[in-house]
Amino acid sequence: MSLFSALSISASGMAAQRTRAELVTENLANAETTRTPDGGPYRRKDVVFQTGSAGSPFASAMDAAVSEGTGVSVSEIIVDQRDPEQRYMPGHPDAGVNGYVAYPRINPAEEMVDLVSASNGYQANVASMSALKEMIQRSIDILR
Amino acid sequence: MLNGINNSLESYLDLLSVRQKLMASNIANADTPGYKTRDVDFQTEFQNLVHGSAPHVTEVTGLKTNNDGNNVSLDREARLLAENALRFSAVSQLLRGQIRTLKAAIDEGKNG
Repeated sequence: MSLFSALSISASGMAAQRTRAELVTENLANAETTRTPDGGPYRRKDVVFQTGSAGSPFASAMDAAVSEGTGVSVSEIIVDQRDPEQRYMPGHPDAGVNGYVAYPRINPAEEMVDLVSASNGYQANVASMSALKEMIQRSIDILR
Repeated sequence: MLNGINNSLESYLDLLSVRQKLMASNIANADTPGYKTRDVDFQTEFQNLVHGSAPHVTEVTGLKTNNDGNNVSLDREARLLAENALRFSAVSQLLRGQIRTLKAAIDEGKNG
């Protein structure tokens, strides 16, 4: 059943890259957000990947047993701890006493690079999955 | 399975699946910090597998390591992915031919 567990490895890669792309979108959408439920401006989020479970408990048990190939998972989502950017906007409702407003420290160029990288990673996983599907189909055809 | 040749064809397909799985995991971990590309030495492991021992996975050397300690090359994996799928297709056709021959023999026996 080696080929079927390889499918879940590719699926875990796709899920991880999608999470990353989702965070990029969130960062871009909130590039100018000055109010959040926790107070203060929005803070940039990023993922940390780690090798690990390929999704289903069966697959991870298989991985542990045969130790050939491991999936990937998002181990944590890190929140940017840098100080927010200060912009002088005295008329803004969120301006401080000195007239500065705290804005999220988000660089669109950085986000776009991340987005391209996530999209390429996703495509590579899709290619790997279709190659696998082809191989499984070939095995089925042997007995046809 | 059926005879010597089919047995080695079967081992070959097995080894291809192991390799495919390793490539799937290399691609899935293309952005995981510290992950190292893993593969099997095809020739050696094929010989071993025919003689009944399990394949041995090694880390690939000679690849460029990124700043985050990851050395997965997507181009290398893409090439091997295509190569592997072609090999699998060729060998499964061979195996299919063998089984078809056997089936023909059985059917002819039935008629005669």
